[in-house]
Parts: sequence; C-alpha cells; structure tokens
Amino acid sequence: MARQERIGVFVCHCGNNIAGTVDIERVVEELSHYPGVVHVEDYMYMCSDPGQELMRKAIQEKALTGIVNANCSPTLHQRTFRRVAEAEGLNPYCVEIANIREQCSWPHADDKETATRKAIAIIKATVEKLRFNMALTPTVTPLTKRVLVIGAGIAGIQAALDIANGGYGVVLVEQDIGIGGHVMQLAGTFPSLEQPDSLIASRLAEVASHPLVKLYTYAEVEEVSGYVGNFDVKIRQKAGYINRGRCNACGMCLEKCPVLVSSEYDCGLSQRKAIRLPSPAALTFHPVIDVEHCLHFNGSQCQACCEVCPEGAIDFSEEDTFVEERIGVVVAAPGYDLLPVGQPEAYPEDPDIIDGLKFERILSATGPTNGEIRRPSDGKVPREVVFISCVGSRDPEHGVPYCSRVCCMYVAKQALLYRQAVPEGQAYIFYMDIRSDAKGFEEFVQDVMDEGGILYLRGEVSRMFRDGDKIKVWGVDTLIGRNIEISADLVVLARAMVPRPTTRELTRKLNIASDAHGFLTEAHIKLRPVESLTSGIYLAGTAQWPRDLPDTIASAEAAASKVLSLFSREELLHEPTIAWVDEEICSGCEQCVANCTYKAIEVDKRSNVARVNEAICEGCGSCAAICPSNAVQLKNSTPRQFFEIIDVAAG
Amino acid sequence: MEVIKKVLVIGGGVAGIQAALDIADGGYQVILVEKTPSVGGHMAQYAEVFPTLDCPQCILTPKMVDVGQHSNITLLTYAELQKVSGEVGNFTVEILQKARKVNHKKCTGCGTCWQKCPEKVPSEYDAGIADRAAIYIPFAQAVPAKPVIDTEHCRYIKHLEFVEGETEGKRPPQCRICERLCPAEAIDWEQEAQTITEQVGAIVVATGFDLMPIKRLPEYAEDPDVIDGIQFERMLSPGGPNAGVVRRPSDGKIPGEVVFVSCAGSRDPEHGVPHCSRVCCMYLAKQAMLYKHAVHDSQAHIFYIDTRTTGKGYEEFLQRTMTEGTVYLRGKVSRIYRDGDKLKVMGVDTLSGKQVEVSADLVVLGMAMLPSVGAKDMAARLGIATDEQGFFTESHIKIDPLESTRPGIYLAGTAQGPKDIPDSVAQGSGAASKVLGLFARSEMTPEGLTVG
Repeated sequence: MARQERIGVFVCHCGNNIAGTVDIERVVEELSHYPGVVHVEDYMYMCSDPGQELMRKAIQEKALTGIVNANCSPTLHQRTFRRVAEAEGLNPYCVEIANIREQCSWPHADDKETATRKAIAIIKATVEKLRFNMALTPTVTPLTKRVLVIGAGIAGIQAALDIANGGYGVVLVEQDIGIGGHVMQLAGTFPSLEQPDSLIASRLAEVASHPLVKLYTYAEVEEVSGYVGNFDVKIRQKAGYINRGRCNACGMCLEKCPVLVSSEYDCGLSQRKAIRLPSPAALTFHPVIDVEHCLHFNGSQCQACCEVCPEGAIDFSEEDTFVEERIGVVVAAPGYDLLPVGQPEAYPEDPDIIDGLKFERILSATGPTNGEIRRPSDGKVPREVVFISCVGSRDPEHGVPYCSRVCCMYVAKQALLYRQAVPEGQAYIFYMDIRSDAKGFEEFVQDVMDEGGILYLRGEVSRMFRDGDKIKVWGVDTLIGRNIEISADLVVLARAMVPRPTTRELTRKLNIASDAHGFLTEAHIKLRPVESLTSGIYLAGTAQWPRDLPDTIASAEAAASKVLSLFSREELLHEPTIAWVDEEICSGCEQCVANCTYKAIEVDKRSNVARVNEAICEGCGSCAAICPSNAVQLKNSTPRQFFEIIDVAAG
Repeated sequence: MEVIKKVLVIGGGVAGIQAALDIADGGYQVILVEKTPSVGGHMAQYAEVFPTLDCPQCILTPKMVDVGQHSNITLLTYAELQKVSGEVGNFTVEILQKARKVNHKKCTGCGTCWQKCPEKVPSEYDAGIADRAAIYIPFAQAVPAKPVIDTEHCRYIKHLEFVEGETEGKRPPQCRICERLCPAEAIDWEQEAQTITEQVGAIVVATGFDLMPIKRLPEYAEDPDVIDGIQFERMLSPGGPNAGVVRRPSDGKIPGEVVFVSCAGSRDPEHGVPHCSRVCCMYLAKQAMLYKHAVHDSQAHIFYIDTRTTGKGYEEFLQRTMTEGTVYLRGKVSRIYRDGDKLKVMGVDTLSGKQVEVSADLVVLGMAMLPSVGAKDMAARLGIATDEQGFFTESHIKIDPLESTRPGIYLAGTAQGPKDIPDSVAQGSGAASKVLGLFARSEMTPEGLTVG
C-alpha cells in the first residue's frame, strides 16, 4: 500500500455549528505539525463554492496525495468533496471525512475543551486511516431499464403510467383481483366532491391497456434478488381456478354460485359469491374462486360454476404458478388499511357503529344502497349521525401516536354529503383539532360549518352504548367545559390509517426499512422523500405515510421521476469500498456466506475460497467482522487502519 | 411537430432546484432562472428544519452546489422571465438578465468589494434584521458566490443618475470604492440588462411564496419587537446576524418571554386570507423549542386555533414541544400593544373561556403564506390560471396536481399552495417526471395538444 505523504486537512466552521464549540485555531495549529500533513486550512463553510475553491487550489499548489475534510457527517458532503478531488485529478477514495460536528461539536456543546481535544483526535485518526487508503475505481454494472411497481392503487398506477409514458417497460403487480385500490371505494373526494371512481377510470383503463405495462392481478411478489439495475423477481400468480385463456367473462358462474360471502369491497354491507369479481367498477377480466368459501374446496361436490360455464373454463386443479421477471428498479406502493378498532368499552361492536370506509360505501351512488343513506341494522334513514375523528390516531395509549392526516377532511365531506342526502338530518363531529391544511381545505371546512345541521364539537368521546333504537354517545365539549350526551342513529368512526399488514413482509423481501408503525422509511425525510435507503427501491403513496389523493399522486410522480432519471444512464456505477478476499488465507469456512445480508458472497466449490459479487456487495463489513482468519477485508477499512485509528484515539 | 427537449425551470428554491436536478440527471438540458442573485430560496434562511432539526444549510447547500456545477444546467440568477409564446413542445421564452454591473467571468468572489462597500441596505436574506452592502452576495453559501451591484442603492449609480439629471436634491458621492479595490477589475459600470431568447419544450413553475407583510394586520402593532417567522428564523440561525443568540430588535436584550401567534392572517377571511398556511403550526412549535433550548428559564406561549401537525413525525414533535414546557393557548389574539419595556398580548383562551393577557419581550407572528410577489403577473405571462390569492391552479386538484391549466407548463412547490419542504421536494421531482415523460416522445401528437 502506498503511503499517502502529502496530506491536506480542511477544517470547516459550519457557521457556529462547529466553531462555536471547537477551538478551530488550536485544531489548525495542532494539525499543521502532524506527520505527513503538508497543508491545513479552515473556512466558514467548506461545502460552499469558495470553500471548494480553497481545496482545488491546495490540491494543485501543494500536489496533495490525500485529503481529510473535518466537518459534518460523511453522508452530507463526502460526495461533494470527493467530486472536487476527482475534478483535480486526485482519486476520490483518497478523500476522507473526519466528522467533528455530529460526533463532536454537537454532543459536547457544553464542554469546549473536551470538544477541541476530541476534534483533534478525530482528525489525526482520520489522517492515519487515510495513509493506508487505496485509490479505487467504481464497479460498472449493466442497467435493466424496466421497473417493478408493487401495488395497483392510485399511487402504483400513477407511477406505472409516468414510467411507461417515459418509454420504459413496467411490471405492475397487484395482490387483489382488480386494480384501483381504496380510491374505488370512496363516494366523493374533498374538496371538489367528484366521484373518484369515474375520476380515475380513464387512468385505470390506460394502465390496463398500456403496451408497455405488464399487469399481474391476483399476484404477489414472492422473492426479490439482485441489486439496483439487475433485480430478479419471482411473482406468484395465485390460482383463480379459472382458465384465463378460455373465460369469456360472461358472468354466468357468478349467477349460479350458491355461496354468499360478505363483500370486502362494500366493507361487509353487501354480499358476493364465492366465485367473484372485485367490484363492479374495477377493471378486471376474469373472476376467481375464493377457496376459503367455495363449497367444492370445502368438502362438497358442488360444481355449479363448472356446469354453467359455456367455455369449460373452470379448473379446480389449477395451482399457483410462478413467473420470473428481470427488472432494474422497484417502486413500492402497497398502500394502507384502517386500524382495527379495539377498545370495546369506548366503541362497542354494533352494526350501526361503522368506520369511514363503510360510510363511503353507504354514501356511494354505486354502493349497496345506491347512495341512499340507510343504517346497516334495520335499513332506517338515520336522523342523527355522530362522526368521531381521531379514533386510534393521536392516541399512543390505545392506538397510534401520529395523525392520520385525511380524516378531518373526509369526515367533513361525509357530513356534508349526508346532509345533502338527508336535509332534515343532524350531524355531529367530535374533533380534537381541525386539520384542514391543504389547498381549498380550510374553505371547504368553513362551508361545511356554515351549512346548517352540522355541529362541530371539540372534545373526545368517552363511551357509547346501545339504548334501544339509539346509540348513546357520551363525550365532552372542551369549549364549554361540559359533558354531553347525544342519541345517535348511526356512528361513524374515523379510524387511524396504518400500513397494510403485508407491508412488513414486503420490507423483508425488498430489504428496506420501516418505522415503528410499519410505514416505509425514506432515505431522508426532508430531501429524499421518495427514495428508500436501499438503492434502486423507491416509495410511493400511503405506505410511506398517510396522505390524500393529490399528495399520493405527487409522490408517485416523484418516484417515477427518480426512475426516469436513473434510466437515462446506460450503466450504473457501484461503490468500490466493498469486501475483498485474500484467497491465500481463506479456508472456505462459509461463515461469511451465512452472515451476508445481501447474499453477495459465496464459496467457490472448486477452489474452496470465498468470492465476492462486486455488484451486490454494499460494503457493510459483516463478512470481514466474522471472518476468523481476517481473510475478508473491507477495502479502505482494513483491520490495520482501525488499529492505527485506535492508537491515535487512545493515545 | 418536434418536441424541443430542453426545459425552463422558473424559481431556484428547493422545489425548482429538485425539478432541475431530476431533469438534468435524466439527460436533458435545463435553464434554471432565479430572480434573486442566488439559488436557495426561503429554505436557505431557516435555522433548523422540523421535525429532525437538521440544519438546512447542511442539506440544501449540496443541492445548490449541484445545480451550479451540473453540466446539463444553465443557471441564470438575477434574471426574470419576460415573455412566453408557442405551445407545449416548442415554447419561445424571453429572459431578462438584469445588469449585475460585475463581470462574473473576471470576478473571483474574493469578497473585498462587499466588505468595503460603505452603503448599507436591509438584507433580504436576513429578512431586514441585518444589513448588507449595496454590492453583495445574499449569503455566504450563495451559488453563484459572486456579487451583484444593487443599482437602486449604489452610491455611484445614484451619482450618475444625478449627473444625468434623472434625480434631484443633494449630489450623491462619486464612491467607486469597489472598483478601486477589486483585484480582478471585474466591476463593469457599462454592463446593461440583456434579453436572452431560448426555445424550450416544457416549463416548470416553482416561484415559491412570500409571507404576508405584518402591516396588513394593524391590530398586531407596528413595533420592532413584533416580528414574523422568517425574521425569527434568522435570529435563531447560527449563521444569522447574531450568530444564533436570540436578541430582540428594539434594544438587543435577550428576550425572557416570547409569544408566538399562529394563523396571523391565515384562516381569517376578514383581515387576511381564508386559507390555512399549513406549515406555521410546525415551525412555531420548532421555533419555541429552539428558543427554549437557546434561552434557559424562558417562557414560550403559543396561541393557536387548531394544531395541524399531520406529517411524518410531526405529531410526536408537537408533543415534545409541549412536554418541554411551551404553553399552548387555544384562542385568537385580538390585540398586541406596547407597555413600557414589554409587549402585552391580549387574547382569549377558549378552553377556559377566559380573556388572557400575556406579557412578552418579543412576539413572533406566524404570518400567512402568500404566493411570491408578482405571481399573478407571472401567471399572465405564462398564460396559466391562479386562484384568488394568486396560487397557480392545477389542471385537476385531485388527480393532476402538478399540471397547470396550460399543456407543457408544470407546477411545483409553494407557488401552487402552502406546503412544507418534503412536499415541495416531492412536487419538484413529480413535475420533473411529467417533463421526462413528455421528452420521451419525439413528436407531439394532436391529443398531446388538447387542453386537459
């Protein structure tokens, strides 16, 4: 290894962030006598244009062979400074960051002496590490310009369309039998009160017939392997027991099937058959048999569908099949569900205590009551309806601590639609804070409040219980400071939005992170909101956080933009700071293989030594840590370098 | 008709920066036009951003540097869009490059001129709580980091105007200090504004927001110690004029009691605007938290109507602010008046149903977010619609949030409506996706031209 002997050290003040705590002058003074260091310089903001200019000048004038930038975390400006070095002909991997902000000035803000000494030690240690750095070049990998979109709700559909319209192939996988997601269940959108299913119908049709979109419905992503640019996905096409080639979608089987099951689409308000279509409006092509309820699959000899099918398309022997697709990147848009209620004391089980989605179905012109508002228990038109916001939301004790973002608006919309349908009816809305914060929302809520017959009550509901024909709702109005009791015909609960239960499994398959609630985690909450931390995997829609329709669409379009940008390249560059095997020492014990999260290392059977797949290895170092003989090492993070670091840090 | 695969992005705030970077990374040419001397926008002014308390300089500066260095981006700062003609796929745009009076090819950005310039003007970047010179870069990390001469305030320019009989009164001095001291001989008094004409296939409008001026709310007293949210950001910022030490403007005293007023102008059709500005609840909570971290044993009160903390990690952040001792009062503030050394804030606490009077050393108003000054003119030039306030209207509020009412012109960021940084960034990327999709076609089909 070449010893880097002409090292430059650049110390950043980061405004007051570092200079307020660390004595920069002393740092510069100490480092200027350090062996191998030929140049030390400090500046207010090293990342700024003039800061970078200082580096450029020094690289040229002092013929630097290595650089230590003492500033913030490497996640922020390592790339910036390495680019500067590269432009001046210095290998970018001969630039190291000494983090004296997050790991020094911030945590030691109240002890300037310690902070200054620590900053000096960090920088010296980094200089020692730098001495043994190798000049590296990134690995080049090919790029498959095709994308997998998971979930065909509105987020997935929009992302798929934007990418397909950008000229690239899309594999769109939806677990349900139809596409469109929860939007298809809604009765009207806030604030414009349009019927959402007709609003997005053209988009559904476009994605279903797009020549560049390969749509798999009733299918699941089984396995994903590979890395950005080259993923292999295995898709499970669930058995629908109907030969898709033969079925002519005549619908006779649906009529003949004797089994009635509560409908998912109508949230249990209507019934469907055991052989089923997703929804009247959702685009789908063939029905599927629901094995859980089909008599044939539950011990009976029923063949009703079989007998009536003119094409002989029913095939009880069908099995799940698997399809493999090669794609370059993934957009994950698996969507949301509502939090199961729980809390039987506060919200007892009662047919007339329903959730927001169910009420959407009651309000919907295409719903089971054709838009007539009738309560589930006895079909009576409810005269008094109580809406309760934040059921489970903002309630760390019983539900989730966060706000579900859309409930305030949909509750207002539902109350308005209810009043339009039942002009003599009375609606009450319990709320904590009214959160109508997007374009046109505040104005909408004001209109709803001005509408007679809708009463906003600021407070929480403590209990509700059936009292004959009515449901008694006990709550408190915090504005008048009194308890109140309302006799309601129907209660609508705005339950918290949560990620789909299957999302956790998906994060495992995709190797991406999720937060404590299960929402997908973005690479940076402010500036990289649609990227995951795993390169090549992007996020869209409500699986990342509760949001409404326009924000969901914007996030899907943003994810598409990331994909389109990436696909404009011909190949991908991969970080070279990855694992390396010394074949002389390796004994082929396979401990590293078992320990690799990325499946990037395997033992070559013939030579019996470990081999690293350079395109997959992310340089995490777990193989190097577990290797009993130090045969696997991480380039530019070798044990020798760490010992040098420790020597300085301890000394 | 052939699509010209070049895009004009108007506005160099975080939304415009993101749109420009995504399109440039997608392999297409971008012209990024910013009317001030530097990109960065309002985000560059903030102290720390919610809910992670990241320093915005740290996360924004790399992107600013990127747009300055990207080989596919032509950055035109201190420039404004004048005229647009044509249609989607083939727009002709005229851009006015204002006269900088500094030759940027010669200038090295050494800083001698702005350090020595004797004329002091309230700094736009510091929201008026500090001064800048008449020759200036807006802030230390500006991109480009080369100055412009503010011709409205430059002594020599005023002198020239006087000599030519354009102004009357006392003869301004023939200063020219910058010219004398500039080692690169970059000062160019002859430099004139020029019009640049370009052909582009699409336009992204990201012209951002401005805060409603405090003087539109006379009941909140014109007083040096009644300031708006951005001014307080500058006070909190370690890179701000007081290096992060919070001092009130009137006498430089460190305020022991600060009152924050939400919805100052927002949700108030009578005195202000009917809309909610979406970000104030969070930034006031953040400011109260930062203030209490900076000034121990201090009192912070926040008047609010509803707390609106709907983003990821926001509700938890609000709870933390409350737990750390900031007092939330649910009600509106009716009046603020001076009482000797103190300000008195009269309001109502709707939860106890009582009038309250809180004394304060400093009052921070969460002023309503409005479209940036000149948005309606911009809309007229672009031929796109706005709402009553001047926020640009999207082609469909639910399902086409990033498309304007004119094909080929896309919207991003707060110019479309108040929103926070992640939503602005997502919109910037989203608008880029629309442009990348359009540019994937080599020709416009007739359907592509119909008004959506």
